[in-house]
Amino acid sequence: MEYKEVIGIRRSIRYFDPDRPVEADKIQKILESMRVASCAVNAHWLRAVVVKRSEIPQSTLDSLKTPVTALVQELAPVHIYCYLDTGTVKQVEGKRLRELVDVGALNPSHGWSHKFVDELVYPQILVPFSEDPAYPVAAAFDCGGAGTQGLLTAVDEGLGVCWTAFNAEPAKEMMDIPDDWLPLYVMNVGYPLESREAGGQRPRPPFEELYFDGKVGRPFPRDPKVVAELEQEKMFTTPAPLPGRKQEVRDLSRKLGLPE
Amino acid sequence: MKPEQPIEQYESVAAWAKGLREQWGGDPLAEEPEKLEALSAFCEFDGRDPDELLAFCFLRRKETGVRFVSVKRREALALQVRAFREASGLSGTEARRLTSNLLSFFIHNGIQMNAGTI
Repeated sequence: MEYKEVIGIRRSIRYFDPDRPVEADKIQKILESMRVASCAVNAHWLRAVVVKRSEIPQSTLDSLKTPVTALVQELAPVHIYCYLDTGTVKQVEGKRLRELVDVGALNPSHGWSHKFVDELVYPQILVPFSEDPAYPVAAAFDCGGAGTQGLLTAVDEGLGVCWTAFNAEPAKEMMDIPDDWLPLYVMNVGYPLESREAGGQRPRPPFEELYFDGKVGRPFPRDPKVVAELEQEKMFTTPAPLPGRKQEVRDLSRKLGLPE
Repeated sequence: MKPEQPIEQYESVAAWAKGLREQWGGDPLAEEPEKLEALSAFCEFDGRDPDELLAFCFLRRKETGVRFVSVKRREALALQVRAFREASGLSGTEARRLTSNLLSFFIHNGIQMNAGTI
């Protein structure tokens, strides 16, 4: 699929085929795409643990569920539990920044050198930053970016995906999660039972409410020609609800024995 | 349940019927008798009528009087639904359908009951 089409067809899938396994190579591609994501100071805070739902004892699976997300976790054959490794900055001690200098990504043209990394960036910026209350928020932003790359790769591979919360305590015990990893979300993965459109592109806030030009309150101009171009390229698809969506949901509910 | 009161006349059942009509069109409660049969059987099993079941899920904050759904009570009710399903002797699709019909009653009355937790 073309990049913009992948964005356009992605949905949070909530009806998975619970019995259809996901191929290991597709899971690997999801993880590989997370690894090459953009990340501040090349730290790579995201950690992910892949678990097949069928291998989780039912009592443990029940304890992982939250009241709202339980069904998605129950149906998805694969769970990718995502964490933020808060210890990574101090573990790598600027090594990954030095690598960026070595490969010509960070250059003297922009003020970078090994000495700058070793004597200033790591000890005077990164170490204090890693102890700042805002640190997990900043690191979580990068984890979200990496996770999104994984999400879109899954869609490109024909899979359905949905982020949900999970109960952190039983998950920690089940997967031997280190104390300094912060729980983020679980990516529920499987083959969708829903149609590809899954009822159409879901409503979003108006562009003008979200993005600004120079000053907050002055919306970034939205050119209808660009919108039309993105429609052509399938980043924008038919808005939800598509005709027949209610019937589709009802049929799925009956197939899976779910409330109507 | 009050023996003199038909189940359709309980306020919570009327709200369920309304919710189903709005969601799916038609009159699902009238068209699919198994829904009301499931609720009646559950009420008999539990000993409370539909309005009492619903009222059980809510508490009021002492300070403000604002009504809220009690997580513990909702969980207790979910356990009761599970016990009812097990006592029914049904399995597979039939058991799931029984549970789903009950959950639908709570869901359309604003009590979030996720099928994945039952």
